[in-house]
Amino acid sequence: MRISRGTAYGVVAAVVVAVVIALLPLTLSDYHLSTGATVGVFFVAILSLNIVTGYTGQISLGQGAFMAIGGYTTAILTHNHGWNDIATLPVAALVGFAAGVIVGLPALRLHGVYLALITFAVALAVPQIAKNYSNFTGGTEGLALPTHSGLWLYRTAWIVAGIVFVLSWLLLRGRAGRAFRAVRDSEVAAASSGVALPIYKTLAFGISAAIAGVAGSVYVLVNNFVNPDVFGLTLSLYILIGAVVGGLGSLWGVIVGAAFVELLPLGLTTAHVSSSQSVPVIFGAVVIAVMALIPLGAADLLRRILHFGSKTKESVQSSLGTEAR
Amino acid sequence: MTRRSKGALAVLALVSTALLVSAAFAARSATPGVTKTTITIGGTFPLTGPAALYSVIPKAENAYFQYVNAHGGVNGRKIVFKYYDDQYNPANTVPLTKKLVQQDHVFAVYGALGTAPTLATRDYLNKAGVPQVLVATGDSYWGAQYKKYPWTIGYQPDYPGESRVYGQFIASKVPQAKIGVLMQDDAYGENYYNGLVQGLGDAKSKIVDVEKYDATQTDVSQQVVKLKAAGANVFALFALPTQTIDALVVATKIGWKPTTFINNVSSSPTFMGLAVKSGANVDGDVSATYVYDVWNNPNTATAKLYKSILSTYDKGADPLDANNVYGVSSAWTMVQALKGAGKNPTRASLMSALTHLNAVDPFLYPGVKLQTTPTERFPIDQQILEHWQNGGWKPFGHIFSKAR
Repeated sequence: MRISRGTAYGVVAAVVVAVVIALLPLTLSDYHLSTGATVGVFFVAILSLNIVTGYTGQISLGQGAFMAIGGYTTAILTHNHGWNDIATLPVAALVGFAAGVIVGLPALRLHGVYLALITFAVALAVPQIAKNYSNFTGGTEGLALPTHSGLWLYRTAWIVAGIVFVLSWLLLRGRAGRAFRAVRDSEVAAASSGVALPIYKTLAFGISAAIAGVAGSVYVLVNNFVNPDVFGLTLSLYILIGAVVGGLGSLWGVIVGAAFVELLPLGLTTAHVSSSQSVPVIFGAVVIAVMALIPLGAADLLRRILHFGSKTKESVQSSLGTEAR
Repeated sequence: MTRRSKGALAVLALVSTALLVSAAFAARSATPGVTKTTITIGGTFPLTGPAALYSVIPKAENAYFQYVNAHGGVNGRKIVFKYYDDQYNPANTVPLTKKLVQQDHVFAVYGALGTAPTLATRDYLNKAGVPQVLVATGDSYWGAQYKKYPWTIGYQPDYPGESRVYGQFIASKVPQAKIGVLMQDDAYGENYYNGLVQGLGDAKSKIVDVEKYDATQTDVSQQVVKLKAAGANVFALFALPTQTIDALVVATKIGWKPTTFINNVSSSPTFMGLAVKSGANVDGDVSATYVYDVWNNPNTATAKLYKSILSTYDKGADPLDANNVYGVSSAWTMVQALKGAGKNPTRASLMSALTHLNAVDPFLYPGVKLQTTPTERFPIDQQILEHWQNGGWKPFGHIFSKAR
């Protein structure tokens, strides 16, 4: 197999990022580690949105709902059935996949805004369902989970993030990834080239929801608590904002988007101030700025910086393994 | 090495250095939050969001701490009170509480507001051995589940106890009652509802309708219309301030005039004033209280001290808002406990002080005691009914003791 320069850069960059993430615990306090773990959760969640929206072009505002499904799977299995918390992650992925396929079915008929509305409704409905079945979910009182050290949470979150990232990368650079992008760019062209639209659209939703489910599981472990408010609408919106800031259709921007949505609100939280009011304003301003100046997000900015001065066709295309448009 | 990878390395080096420097500040003393000159406590409060009308409470508490600091502090230490805005959302409370414990190294989490937020952080704080004290929520869990959660203790009379008093009152004084209940759809609402049913006893069949709302929902007009349609002539209102105000206004506008019972946490005269301003008729409404009556006794030494603390350290605060009396009274108790924790306070000695309270808090209703033992962990468990007359609450009847 011939390895292109772009792939080689991608691998090197991945290794460098992985080493930095692995070494950070040496310098971070326990509190910062659990914050770092939440960045990992958002990394996985934004990645999940990127697969269905960025790569396949199907708009989803419902990632928070899929996270809720995964999170509750973990919470119920550990709290009510005494499971080991790590062992629940694959189950959360499976349950998330099933939920994603079901939600993905309307995607076969609906486009754009209409599909967005359906997924929006799912994001609103799932927490209410959790409220109603309080025997399992603890209702609004919620369920408490075992506590872990910041280091444990950080390691778990980023190992999960690493696995999900590698699997997504393998998926997206292969046959399925090409099909996804073809669907995004032109459904008619994709269909006439032999891409089975129904299969790939539902597959994208299923995989995306499975990943979001895992993100939800880890989120619940980090907070060692779950109730319906944890998975409110804001969560879905944060994920979307992270994806836009990081760059839809790129795997590399995800880390920037994740850090942005988790660290900015915390950074703005100072004692005695109702900081939460400024967060939406700043988020809004940044999203507008990104859309106006670098529509492809942080990933594109990074690419432009890296390729400054060397405008050969190859290097522009290779660009860390992404083919954002 | 290419120019590009050199640049990347430089960035990496810079980042790592910055992180190392920031980690170097992690030194701690033996008891977290306690130094020779300060004692740091913290809490989470809804400064914004659906329960933002409570945002005055931490400010009033801080005002009292400032007042104590200006008069020598506690055993020579000044109280530093850090509070964060969790918007009444448990998803925010968890990371902010971790921030208080792990980043700000607080001695104790004090006064944190809300049932759901407190439930969300209770496991974490108890496992970490951090006192979670005088929480601003009246659910019965805090006092009742002390064996499992020894580091948690409440403050105000518990909600079931309060609504039990309403239930008993309705059963004995309102013979033809048809009760309609509006409650928040969570543990807080359930606590109030269960107490009402217990207090009603055999009269519980007089409940003709129960309507619920979600904590994030501020418009409850639909529910109020349904309660009227169900033929209720008694209105039990177990809701947060915003929804309570809305319900009172809507009830008047649709021409419904039941005997209304308003839970203590929403019956501050300030909230009643807001409801009246929006057109509600609240004459004859009933509530319960346990804080000092600064409204009917404005010229006593206590009322004057209270007002001067607010005007000095919490400028712009409304002295007629019951939440400010609550805040000052709660802070008084915290100072009392910190004093009781000794010259070299530890987290254990603070809990010991809080479970051996026996004091007269001047900011409580005269006759209401502040009392705990290691097995009796409800600091305040007495209250008195009040009704709204001539633009203010007038206490009536006797103090209900052991409201539980």
